[in-house]
Amino acid sequence: MTNLEEYIVGYEMSKEEIEAFDNNPSLVTKVEKIKRQEVAEPGNIEAIVEGLLYIVGDDGVKLEQLALTIDRSLEDTEVILQNIQNKYASEIYGIELVAYGKNYKFISKKEIYPYAQELFHTVKQNTLSQSALETLAIIAYKQPITRIEIEELRGVGADMMLRKLLARNLIKEAGRSDAPGRPILYEVTDEFMDSFKLYTLNELPDLPEYNSDEENENLFE
Amino acid sequence: MGFTVETMRFEGPLDLMLHLIHEKELDIFDLDMEVLTDQYIKYLHEMENLQLEVESEYLVELASLIEYKSKKLLPKPQEDLNDEYEEDPKDRLVKRLLEYQKYKEVSSLLYENYLDRQDQLSKPVSYEQVVKNSSFEDQKLEGNPYDLLKAMSKVLRRIQLSKPFETKLAAKEISTEDRILQIKARLIDLPETFNFDTLLDDCRSLHECIVTFLAVLDMAKDHFLIFTIDNEDKIWFKRGLEHD
Repeated sequence: MTNLEEYIVGYEMSKEEIEAFDNNPSLVTKVEKIKRQEVAEPGNIEAIVEGLLYIVGDDGVKLEQLALTIDRSLEDTEVILQNIQNKYASEIYGIELVAYGKNYKFISKKEIYPYAQELFHTVKQNTLSQSALETLAIIAYKQPITRIEIEELRGVGADMMLRKLLARNLIKEAGRSDAPGRPILYEVTDEFMDSFKLYTLNELPDLPEYNSDEENENLFE
Repeated sequence: MGFTVETMRFEGPLDLMLHLIHEKELDIFDLDMEVLTDQYIKYLHEMENLQLEVESEYLVELASLIEYKSKKLLPKPQEDLNDEYEEDPKDRLVKRLLEYQKYKEVSSLLYENYLDRQDQLSKPVSYEQVVKNSSFEDQKLEGNPYDLLKAMSKVLRRIQLSKPFETKLAAKEISTEDRILQIKARLIDLPETFNFDTLLDDCRSLHECIVTFLAVLDMAKDHFLIFTIDNEDKIWFKRGLEHD
């Protein structure tokens, strides 16, 4: 028990003191914090985070936001999340904790999918056209990037495709380039990271390298 | 027969060129522009023969291919070494093709991830949270049709998630005989007189309404029901002689 806590529990305040106390926001928050910490014993802080993750559902929650909510440091919060992640990795659980795009959320495990199909009678999967994929790939690897640069790379107009991808929330506008005409720059979104199972963009597969010298090493020589 | 329509879908002129290079086994690092140009033109002609619209992007690349070809035919002007170095259009094309090929290849890798991810589902954010985060007044009233599109697809998705079981409403056809039995069973609970609309309560399709109508016609014929039509065109029923 901290001194402040003893003070709160064991002391009966006069009317004036109560008023002074109520008018002092810093004291109020301190007490609030102590109350919260009482609930959040080391053992069940994980349970609290777990519950929060359940509530946020497919919106997910960022590490920073969560740390602020539970009033812990980023490092501590990350450890807690790591623990939950490890726990749910076990095959006795049907959901797992992922952090695609550094956004933490619970999703059902792959093995559940056939049963979900059975339950919902839906087999419809979202698809992406080849041109959508190529456009996304170019943006992901070269972001921020302008429409003209994308068009130059693919050799086709990208206007409609960019609008579609914006509408699907897979890309977003990210300011303007300093090039003449100040064209809009595009970046991929967290939704993209989630859809493509990426924690960070560093995880993108390496671009294949075509080296003329290697290719010319003649097999028949 | 002799009827072969090959519809190859290309993502653009670069995609088409890569296909031609692969098909004709050309060396991309030592590109035979002549063969490529000929094949390219041949393909565009075929597209026109099939009444397919040749998109302008293909024509732009065609123009640069032909420009390259015509330059080769003309005698070379005296090269001035002091001239600014200009990249050989062929090298430039090869560079573009290679660059494009990279993204084309990697996009199929990414697609695997994309499809994989869809096998894993999550639940929508809890209702409390939605209410709290969505005070309408706080939001600026602006947006374009694409924002609407985005919002609508979100709405549809939520509806789909909230009513998963209703996605399967198999159209089940019911026979007039079965419907008569159903109505007879319901008569017990119905008041002495009732109207046709009451009988339609449990109908979910036009088909069921029609079957219900046929059923009451049959029942009226058998004097099981007596009907009358009021001045509002409502059909009222009364139980008739019960003979079975």
